[in-house]
Amino acid sequence: MPFLEMRDVHKRFGGVVALDGASLSAEPGELHALLGANGSGKSTLNKTLTGVVAADRAEVLLDGQPVTLRGPREAQARGISAVYQELSLVPDLSVEDNVALGVEPARFGFVDRREQRRTVRGVVERFGSAFEGRLPLDTPVAGLPPGEQQIVEICKAVARDPRILVLDEATASLHEAQVRALFEALRDLKDRGVLVIFTSHRLEEVFELCDRATVLRSGATVGTVELAAADQAEVVRMMLGRSIDRIERDRTEAPEARRVVLEVRGLITDRLRDVSFTVETGEVLGVAGLQGQGQDELLEALFGAARISSGEVRLDGKPIHPRSPRQAVRERIALIPGERAREGLFSRRPILENLTLASVGRRALPGGLLRGARERRAAGDAVRRLQIKLGRLLDPVLTLSGGNQQKVVVGRWLLTEPRVILMDDPTKGIDVGAKEELYSSMRRLADEGVAIVFHSSENLELVRLCGRVLVLFEGRVVQVLEGDQVTEDRLLEASVGVDQVPG
Amino acid sequence: MTDEAAAPSAPSSPVRTAGRWLADHPAAVAGIIAVAMFAAGELLRPGFAGYGQILNVLRVAAFLGIVAAGQTLVILSGGEGVDLSVGKVATLSAIIAARTIDGGNDLMLPGLALALGACALIGLINGLGIAFLRIPPLVMTLGMIAVVQGVILIYTGGQPAGRAAPLMTDLVSGRTVFRIPGILWIWAVVAVGMVVLLRRTAFGWRVHALGTNRLASGLSGINVRRNVVAVYTLSSVLAGLGGFLLLGYTKTVFLNLADGYMLPSVAAVVIGGTTLAGGVGGYPGTVVGAIVLTVLESLLRTMQLDEAARQIVNGIVLILLLSAYGRQARLRQ
Amino acid sequence: MIDRAVRSLTVGMRRGLVPGLTVTTLLLITVAVNALLAPNFFSSYSVISNFSSFVPLVAASIAQTIVVLGGGIDLSLGALITLSSVMSVVLMEGDPGRLPLAVAVAIGVGAAGGLLNGLIVAFLRLQPIVATFAMSFVFAGITLKVLPQPGGQVPAVMTTTYRDSVIGIPVAALVIAGLYGLWWVVKRSTLGRHLYAVGGDERAAYASGVRVNQVRVMSYVLGGTFGGVAALAILANTGSGDPYVGAAVGTALIGGQTTLASIAAVVIGGTALRGGVGGAGGSIGGAVILALVSNIVFFAGISGGYRQLINGAIVIAALALTAVPAFRRSPA
Repeated sequence: MPFLEMRDVHKRFGGVVALDGASLSAEPGELHALLGANGSGKSTLNKTLTGVVAADRAEVLLDGQPVTLRGPREAQARGISAVYQELSLVPDLSVEDNVALGVEPARFGFVDRREQRRTVRGVVERFGSAFEGRLPLDTPVAGLPPGEQQIVEICKAVARDPRILVLDEATASLHEAQVRALFEALRDLKDRGVLVIFTSHRLEEVFELCDRATVLRSGATVGTVELAAADQAEVVRMMLGRSIDRIERDRTEAPEARRVVLEVRGLITDRLRDVSFTVETGEVLGVAGLQGQGQDELLEALFGAARISSGEVRLDGKPIHPRSPRQAVRERIALIPGERAREGLFSRRPILENLTLASVGRRALPGGLLRGARERRAAGDAVRRLQIKLGRLLDPVLTLSGGNQQKVVVGRWLLTEPRVILMDDPTKGIDVGAKEELYSSMRRLADEGVAIVFHSSENLELVRLCGRVLVLFEGRVVQVLEGDQVTEDRLLEASVGVDQVPG
Repeated sequence: MTDEAAAPSAPSSPVRTAGRWLADHPAAVAGIIAVAMFAAGELLRPGFAGYGQILNVLRVAAFLGIVAAGQTLVILSGGEGVDLSVGKVATLSAIIAARTIDGGNDLMLPGLALALGACALIGLINGLGIAFLRIPPLVMTLGMIAVVQGVILIYTGGQPAGRAAPLMTDLVSGRTVFRIPGILWIWAVVAVGMVVLLRRTAFGWRVHALGTNRLASGLSGINVRRNVVAVYTLSSVLAGLGGFLLLGYTKTVFLNLADGYMLPSVAAVVIGGTTLAGGVGGYPGTVVGAIVLTVLESLLRTMQLDEAARQIVNGIVLILLLSAYGRQARLRQ
Repeated sequence: MIDRAVRSLTVGMRRGLVPGLTVTTLLLITVAVNALLAPNFFSSYSVISNFSSFVPLVAASIAQTIVVLGGGIDLSLGALITLSSVMSVVLMEGDPGRLPLAVAVAIGVGAAGGLLNGLIVAFLRLQPIVATFAMSFVFAGITLKVLPQPGGQVPAVMTTTYRDSVIGIPVAALVIAGLYGLWWVVKRSTLGRHLYAVGGDERAAYASGVRVNQVRVMSYVLGGTFGGVAALAILANTGSGDPYVGAAVGTALIGGQTTLASIAAVVIGGTALRGGVGGAGGSIGGAVILALVSNIVFFAGISGGYRQLINGAIVIAALALTAVPAFRRSPA
């Protein structure tokens, strides 16, 4: 009888299936890795275990007893605590108060500060070498560098004396010494019989630290492997779901007279480190990497939506300084944002308005008066070009399927006649048919001479569409793959930092 | 919601179809409520729903409706948008106009221009504070009430002076075309203007976009700040117009002439189906909302409820409406 | 290392340390100007009367601070204070024997009104800003039902004690000290800690196992309770009941001025309106500053109109100040 068993876990977010029958089984005193490609459901499974996400259907057994977890409080009461990808620290509270939050030692309703300090210090000291200088117990968390904040987050989970500790990408912002301190502490917990569930995009770390790994793909569990007996390539294959053979390519042929449209040199932002590249007319340049390696920030920076600290951007040879999306639009740059609902759609507004909004000013009469027929004609034009399937133009855009919603966002930008289109994972959560139609639209646009920068979390797409792919890792371009080099396995290897010195 | 709307609906009873249609058209629901209240009033006191009485209710509703026009824009534009200063601004407008015009027909237009100019300035300040200093709209406009009150006291020395021009009174109260009070025609013009502004101009579409999704608006190249400033400026100007017309109705002016429109202007917009979250709704709903509130007020008076009870009822009605339309998301996903 | 210094400075700003300095400076300036304009400013009569007039706003601003810290705002606070003052005065009928009952009623009405607000915000999940605004009309209406016109009599013992002094210290000053003590108790409690956490980041607090809804309700209950104290202070200071006390001048908006002033005091005191940062100490300073400023405006012979204008402008300026250091990414 396993110590922890999760079976048949299902969860949908709106129309997107996150988990589709995932399972996990683990023992006390084990360092158990949870692996999977982007969007395979790792985080959702972790959050189901800690009660933050309410699964649609799930069986969770602890010590063979079925349990229902109705929230983080209940999970904590059962000895499950977690470190999430997005920090759960309160920025303005001190390190000490954050670590103790929710489990403060209390006497008569008052926080027993002496006792609190004693216990918190005990936990934080175990990570002592991870902090620069002395233990910052009284410093507000917002005043710490990202790596130290992450350590505080881990201290907080450990301070709850868990039987199960869930670490979701906990090493993402740590430097080498901090990773060492963490691993030491985790091995120590393991010796005390704690089950550690560990998710990391750095495959090497997983192999170094963990005993076993459970691999997820498309929301379902593929299998569990003993890591001592496995090699990295084998695990990558499990994540991909098939052995890598030849895939049909679908790339655009280079038009005769290509020229450089967009040129980026030495771009530095909060999360990007010295990124340089060029894009030519008619090219679909791929941007690859694991989630959160700076892909979105790259596109946002070019679109004036993220601050550029230094670097040069040239459009058709002319230097530009994108400081706001408005300026970018004026330069005829378009961004198809990644989070469609949050950043792209005016969900309750009609399809017509969603399509025409970015270009409405150009067709208006003096005084901003609109001619209905002209707007409808423009919208109809986009609908035809992108084969958008809709009822009426005046229906709210949220009545459309995900794929058609995305086409509406693309259509909005087509109407601005862009020179450069930046696409941030545009096929996320849309069905296969719509994906194919989007690919062919992209090809057509490229053939018309538009330069496309295409970030995708699905490497297969990049293989199909891109002749050249930048691979980002922790804000840097770690590899540029070209032509025949652009294959799924090369992309994944480059993404997980195989052949790379981490940090 | 997406699935429901996208899936071809199973054969359903006419009642359910009607129910769903009504859920999508809160303004129609408000209209039905208004008719029901007229009917109830007629039962309580015969003559309540007579032609003259209905015209009278509409005339009273017109001032609220015009003041609430700007409120509609502000709430539509989202971002917790609300303009609590409309009542006070309308009062200021009436006070400036009365003093400038002081009964002279030839001074009516300069008076109007001066009043609306002052209001525009106040709205501009509201908009700048909200768009650039990120002061929450509710607090900004609440603070502005005190400032405007100060301006009024300084301007009047505590004793407002002046009168409306006779021409204004004729325009507002006189039986004009079809023997309908002029104010109703003016309201109709404002309503048509608002509908054109919101439905047929680039600005109107941008306001809806801002209210639905500010982030996406910015990412679509809309100048978010400039449009927010414009919305608050317009709101004050429309409130000022309401105050000016109210002066035509009352002929003389008091220090708190239009102050009472503050809450009803918000309520009229909400009852008319414009969501407090922004982005959905429109002026026709507000027109119905203004009528509903006026009938309700009139009904409460007929039931001989005093000012205190009317405030309580108003507050509770607002809470109920908010819980029907304006919920926030749960913490657990 | 420069990096670290800059970070700690910006964090200091966010935590209200820099505004703390501002409050002290402003307080010194207003006291100095007051002393210059009114030569008898430090006479015992003047001190007592000043402190007596501070208490209602001080209590109200502590109430608002607690709600704001928890991530909410209470626009019904002024109306609730007025309601609990008129309920209390109507029950007293000038009878000293009923004083304990009247005190209990004032506090109880405040707490109950806060509970209602808290339940609406936490469980109906309405935006605090509109929900409490709507509730202010409910409270205002009940106020007018209970006491339509100024009236009612406070027992003399209440007003005389309030204006008395103990070993040279005005009772009103002791009351302020007592209120600060109560705030200190709240702050040191587990609830107080959770209040900061919920206001700072409610999702993080939820993920840490804090009972977010319960904390949110309690913030309004505590706010209402301090509001009840403000109501008693108003009664003790004025000697009778008045539904229009603290109403926005020239409007029927009951308690509107009190609400606005309490928010202004909170902001001047360095508590961020987004919640989670600050404390009642600053708000008390803010409340006193506001009172002293209107003294200055009064002594300077400035007319009521300018007084209004200046008060409004100070509120807006204070709000604007808090917005300046925040750094943001461009798309709003």
